[in-house]
Amino acid sequence: MAEAGKIRVLIAKPGLDGHERGARVVAYGLRDQGFEVVYTGLRQTPEQIVNAAIQEDVQVIGLSVLSGAHLTLTGKVIEKLKARHADDILVLVGGIVPEGDMTALRDMGVAGIFTAGTRISAIADFIRSRVSQDSRV
Amino acid sequence: MDDNYRKKLKEAVAEWEEKVLKPRVKRFNLPESPTRFYTPLDVKDDVFLSKVGFPGWYPFTAGNNPFDFWRAYAGDAARMGYRPDWGGAGKVGKYGGFGTPADYRDYLLRMQSMGRRGGPNIAFDLVTQCGYDSDSLHAEGEVGRVGVAVDSFRDFQIIYEAYTGDLDIDKVPSNYTINAPAAVVIAMYACLAKKRGIPLEKLEGTPQNDILKEFIARGTYIYPPGPSLRLFRDTCVFITKHMSALNINSIGGYHIREAGATRVQDLAFSLANGIAYLQAGIGGGLAVDEFAPKFTFNAFGGSMEIYHEIAFQRAARRMWARILKERFGAKDPRSMMIRQPITAHIGCSSTTLQRPLNNLARAVVGGIAAGMSGGIPGAFPPFDEPLGLGHSLEAVQLQLDATRIMIYEAKVTDVNDPWAGSYFMESLTDQTEEAALTEMEKIEKMGGAVVTIENGYMQRAVARSAFERQKLIESQKEFVVGVNSFTGPNEIEVSVNRVFEATYDPALMKTAEERQKAALAALRRERDGNAAASALKTLKEKAKDETANLMPPICDCVERDATLQEICDVMRDVFGEAEPMKL
Repeated sequence: MAEAGKIRVLIAKPGLDGHERGARVVAYGLRDQGFEVVYTGLRQTPEQIVNAAIQEDVQVIGLSVLSGAHLTLTGKVIEKLKARHADDILVLVGGIVPEGDMTALRDMGVAGIFTAGTRISAIADFIRSRVSQDSRV
Repeated sequence: MDDNYRKKLKEAVAEWEEKVLKPRVKRFNLPESPTRFYTPLDVKDDVFLSKVGFPGWYPFTAGNNPFDFWRAYAGDAARMGYRPDWGGAGKVGKYGGFGTPADYRDYLLRMQSMGRRGGPNIAFDLVTQCGYDSDSLHAEGEVGRVGVAVDSFRDFQIIYEAYTGDLDIDKVPSNYTINAPAAVVIAMYACLAKKRGIPLEKLEGTPQNDILKEFIARGTYIYPPGPSLRLFRDTCVFITKHMSALNINSIGGYHIREAGATRVQDLAFSLANGIAYLQAGIGGGLAVDEFAPKFTFNAFGGSMEIYHEIAFQRAARRMWARILKERFGAKDPRSMMIRQPITAHIGCSSTTLQRPLNNLARAVVGGIAAGMSGGIPGAFPPFDEPLGLGHSLEAVQLQLDATRIMIYEAKVTDVNDPWAGSYFMESLTDQTEEAALTEMEKIEKMGGAVVTIENGYMQRAVARSAFERQKLIESQKEFVVGVNSFTGPNEIEVSVNRVFEATYDPALMKTAEERQKAALAALRRERDGNAAASALKTLKEKAKDETANLMPPICDCVERDATLQEICDVMRDVFGEAEPMKL
């Protein structure tokens, strides 16, 4: 199913937050940039997201949260990735993340945080640099 | 305009273009002029009476009234030092909600002891908005965040312990930002009145109750669009028959725009949703003038393009008025008006995280657009909105003062529809209306709002528009100051002091989920389980009968302490659940 050479990304909306403009724009944008993108749609549990990531064999998960529940939900996704030995998947977070929470997210293992005003090309460059780098190991 | 004059004008325009405009464009080596100039030729003849009219007259292009109610009290308000953020006496209170019902009640009582008036204007947590209980698997981490948790009638009553005496529910209105479970919350309101011995027709307020836009934007839907609209019908009929002072809904163009819709999509989709709600009311056996006056709109608008936003307001008012009169045969002018708390504004998505104080300048632009289109010139939102940390006292003070400066010093609102008759604005209003009508015809041909939501047309159109906008910004075809332009080394961050009101206690927030789950467990233990189960069973039977109104059986469930999720689950069983849209 996966196209050869393309980096595979899952864009996911954890929790009950219904603001999906950012998630959809990033999904369209990364697809335009040559990535293979799967979008989960709204209201996914961390369990569902990790299952989808493993099933779709993605290298990157982009979590979009605008409800203030980013610490809890991101923590759960990463915990479940570890439990399934899938923590080589790069986890990114987008949405409304107050500066004071960024260190906590990075400490959990989030590779990149992208808030309002980010260019999609910047996200794409970041993924390319990290994924090629990781796969060389 | 007689033919002679028209001919003369055409010649003059041609001459001006040749002798003045073209040389100027050539001098700067441009493919075309970066600005436009309008003349009487841009407006069709003799349209003032039929298309503009007077403020308060059909088709309401120039406004719903010669002046808005607040304008009558503007002088007194200044002399009294009235602060609208504290809620007005006997009027709508400040929007909010957090934690458990007891947490929020205590907060409200504390605010009241500091002088705040106004009725409840409740933000519910996402768990409640999506029809789950606090002990659901979906609730983890979300209980009491972004709003207050309400699992049962008991919870609802706890919040209202802050509203007694002078602030009892026959004296202040209640506002609820609730959509998919709106029927349950309206039932709770009715049951509360019954318990307090207050006649239902005395209840004022507005439930958002705009489920169709939840599929296009905002996302707190439960059932598929069809059954969702049936529930709307049931609330519409119940409110009209029993709670005649209550508004029926608050139709939200704003959310659709924030989700990425263009101005034209926003207008077309919102009015198409409005038509679906009107048809639902009529399908429920009501006459249009019985219930249409109780429709409201939630702040149509949402961009920085000041001229376009003014034209948008004018076009929207005219279109809605014509739909009501010509298509639905309304006779009562109140049926034909777009009633909304504010008119134009910039929308939160126009604010930037970068150099956030700039958002004050942006909000003022929105305020001017509002003041020039029949609304209060509200400088919305406070500049620190995109920081996601709540509004600081400084930001709220600056917002209020900006609005006051527009009203009292700039006198923006001393003229009603100041753009009426402008060749440019009338032309732009016509263009906006025509484009929206074309889109509405397309929707109509596909089968209307419900069908175009079911097949994902509206959702995809909005998402594509959001992406197109992003591309315009990334390619610098559109400019956002401090984001994709003017970001060089000479620009500086302006840091601002941010002092908070002692509002929602973080310690309470931390324990809210656990305490709310304990309260819910106690309710399940203490209630008469058989009575609740039997009321739920009746609801299920009625839900299967499309002609039945579900409000009475939902009221029974509420009174017998069935939980919000139990009530919603019964209907999930019958109606099914809406699937989240993929790409």
